[in-house]
Amino acid sequence: MSDRFTNNHEHNPHAHVIHAPGRRLLNSVKLKFVWSKVKGHSVRAANANLNLTAYIDFLLVTVIFLLTTFNASGQISVDESIKLPFAENAEDVIDAPMVAVNGVSVYVDGDPVDSTRAIEDMGKMAKLDKLFVLLKNRRENWKTLQPDKPFPGVVILQIDENVPAIVVKSVFQTAAYAGYPNVSFMVQKKGSGE
Amino acid sequence: MGGVDVGGGSGKRAMNADVNLIPFIDLLLVTVAFLLITAVWVTNSRINANAQIPGPPNPEIVVVPQTPEKVLNVAIGAEEFVLTWKQGAVVAAETKVPKPTSKSGEAPKYADLAKVFETEWKTHGSHKDPADMKIDQAIIHSDNRLPFKEIVAVLDALYSPKREMKLGNKTEMLPVFNMTFSIR
Repeated sequence: MSDRFTNNHEHNPHAHVIHAPGRRLLNSVKLKFVWSKVKGHSVRAANANLNLTAYIDFLLVTVIFLLTTFNASGQISVDESIKLPFAENAEDVIDAPMVAVNGVSVYVDGDPVDSTRAIEDMGKMAKLDKLFVLLKNRRENWKTLQPDKPFPGVVILQIDENVPAIVVKSVFQTAAYAGYPNVSFMVQKKGSGE
Repeated sequence: MGGVDVGGGSGKRAMNADVNLIPFIDLLLVTVAFLLITAVWVTNSRINANAQIPGPPNPEIVVVPQTPEKVLNVAIGAEEFVLTWKQGAVVAAETKVPKPTSKSGEAPKYADLAKVFETEWKTHGSHKDPADMKIDQAIIHSDNRLPFKEIVAVLDALYSPKREMKLGNKTEMLPVFNMTFSIR
């Protein structure tokens, strides 16, 4: 038994004893060609290390760029039938009722409310009665819910770029009569979607 | 794999430490994917207009008559823009700007008109002091069949000149004009 813990274990080949390693294979050979043969004749080593620094730099720059350009204020859905005009000198969109005009119908926050066909046929300005009633009710509801605050009176018009001026003026004036004097036109910021 | 080589080699423990960068790259990739998905590529903005209906808000309050301010009237014609400064019914100045023809399918842009608006405001504008909170008024006169994109192009030119305005403690650059439509 004491044999297991000594270097003298020549009689027991299964003894599990940790001992100092002996001589390495070919270690004593000083010849260069022998070592070249061992390493694989100067062929590319099988163990390749990929340099990830450049890749991480690229990812970091992308993350920083996306974070700086992130802006949630313009994320407002516009109806597919409406193509907004372009403008440079525009401000950020604010939270307000959205009135969309696509040349045929008028929508308030996505729900169809009125038609503009009659105004185009008549060729003169007219008040859109259904739109007027809806906006007026909304204003009264807002005032009932928040009696202490002054009413901002802001409405945003999403109007297709080919809608004639007569329709634009009619919707504009209807909103003003309904108590929304601060009318804004939604546009696409030049350079963002051209 | 990134590592830190601190030399050594003769010690008992290896001094060459490898930092596992895979979770870091995973995190970066997930962040890039999230930001790309939530990014807004077409940003919408707004152009301000004003539809203040003339007259006092409360009919019981007697309004002291004041001298009318100079107002810029912008008439969008077929071939030219006519800019008229009016004080009440009196015409103070009139300028005509030729209308450039824009190619079909291309968004109209009136860069020359924007320059004229700036010089007109510098000559005739009433509100130039940064402490002055009022803005010069512009009234747009247009043909009933004029497409909306042309109105917006004129508004874009109208809002191009800006001036300093004190808002509380900070000073901001704001457009010199505020527009409304003429009602006929």
